[in-house]
Amino acid sequence: MQAPLIQFIVIPIVKIVVILAVVLLVVAYLTFAERKILAYMQVRLGPNRVGPKGWLQPIADGLKLFAKEDLIPAKAEKAVFMLAPAMIMVPALLAFSVIPFAPATDLFGLLPKAMPPYVTDINIALLFVLGISSIGVFGIILGGWSSNNKFSMMGGLRSAAQMVSYEVPMGFAIIAVLLMARSLSLVKIVEAQQAAHLWFFIPGILALGIYFICGVAETNRNPFDLPEAESELVAGFHTEYSGMKFAFFFLAEYTNMLVVSSLATIMFFGGWLQPFPNVAWLSFLGVIPPVIWFAVKVACFIFVYMWFRGTFPRYRFDQLMQVGWKWLIPLSLANLVIVGVGVLLVKG
Amino acid sequence: MAVSQFFSKLIPTDLFAGLRVTGGYFLRKKETVQFPEQRREPTERFRGLFSYDVDRCIDCHLCARACPINIIFIRDHAEYEEIDGKKKKKLVVDRYDIDVKRCMFCGLCEEACPTHPKSVWLTTKTYEGANYERNEELYFTKERLMSWDGIKAFPGVVSPAQGQEPGNLAGTKTGGGEAA
Repeated sequence: MQAPLIQFIVIPIVKIVVILAVVLLVVAYLTFAERKILAYMQVRLGPNRVGPKGWLQPIADGLKLFAKEDLIPAKAEKAVFMLAPAMIMVPALLAFSVIPFAPATDLFGLLPKAMPPYVTDINIALLFVLGISSIGVFGIILGGWSSNNKFSMMGGLRSAAQMVSYEVPMGFAIIAVLLMARSLSLVKIVEAQQAAHLWFFIPGILALGIYFICGVAETNRNPFDLPEAESELVAGFHTEYSGMKFAFFFLAEYTNMLVVSSLATIMFFGGWLQPFPNVAWLSFLGVIPPVIWFAVKVACFIFVYMWFRGTFPRYRFDQLMQVGWKWLIPLSLANLVIVGVGVLLVKG
Repeated sequence: MAVSQFFSKLIPTDLFAGLRVTGGYFLRKKETVQFPEQRREPTERFRGLFSYDVDRCIDCHLCARACPINIIFIRDHAEYEEIDGKKKKKLVVDRYDIDVKRCMFCGLCEEACPTHPKSVWLTTKTYEGANYERNEELYFTKERLMSWDGIKAFPGVVSPAQGQEPGNLAGTKTGGGEAA
């Protein structure tokens, strides 16, 4: 085979397949982690019967969903109804094409020269992820509308309102990071934190808080899970879905959690960097591969997600809007000014 | 407005208090009892499945009368035997059935029983009476009440035929609490 063919077709496809497989496996096990963590917070044990210590539970759940009947309501808008799960799943997975989870590596000498393990590093990666993840809301709205069910419709509408209000403060929080990193490329952001000898969560603690709250709201998780509020809307936008279509909505939610956590790790906690990468006597931490550091940091964020779910009751809709517009946006603007002045003073 | 009040409005500290509570529970020892492998020991006075002793029973029907929902069915006949030239009447229990599927385990039959020790009692600690068939399997005849055929007894509990005695005897001096 010719060299360009390998470089531009074979290698990316291998990377994509590996990343997809890993992400989907991790997402499946996030459902297990969620059930376990919630159980532990309620002084229960959680699922522990399927396989050793319950570790085969997600696989059993998946097999069950495959075997379920695939219902389409008689008065549903069939084409849109079928398309909606894909429209929410694809953008969620697409975001992983630019997330750098490790630096260029030669896989312990297996490859002739070092190669980045992520699919691509584009210079507008952060913008790309934000744009792509905003498309996901179409899946929710269209899924809710095409079900021809008032609960689903309400869920979709709430989701739209929520996404629109929370993307503004999220954008402002991210701009604070961009001021410090001076790049939109996620790899450059991590490298900037290495060069600055400082993870950005220290100067950007407020931005981190705002970003994470907005991230929780964007992924429709507790305490901002109004689109699927069980007590009022049955299950919200996915009330009418069953089988694998329902599973797609579920997996997309967890994939989005993973995307938000990965971005938080990259922007505020130095991505794949070990703690204090420039301190000589801590260099023994380099024994642990960068991808493990990345995974551990992401896992901490995921745990906080589930901690929130185990703790907080749901906001009322007007409270949700109040938090978004009257609290987060002024705070994120003030943060932007503070960080901007700080960057001016430090870098001149 | 005081400065601290302003900051507590800005930073919702009560949310962190909530997180601390759930975080504490996350680390706590779990309460779950893994049932088929682990069991909780019922107390001495726990009212479980019935036991019956036909040798002690004097066929007085007091248990059947005490039963609020009439699920104890007794059928007997009189036998006469000669003792010292006198004809003496003796009652023999033919059937002693308890329809356990309708029982509410109030224990009034055990309280009503006049014999010492009791002839019918519920203090057996046995509670695994679930079954896939309710008409035959949960209708206990005299023989099944004594042999406990098909009953999953609480570990360490034997059937009346193998020598089980009433655990806590209400109204007698052998009861656990009253002995002291």
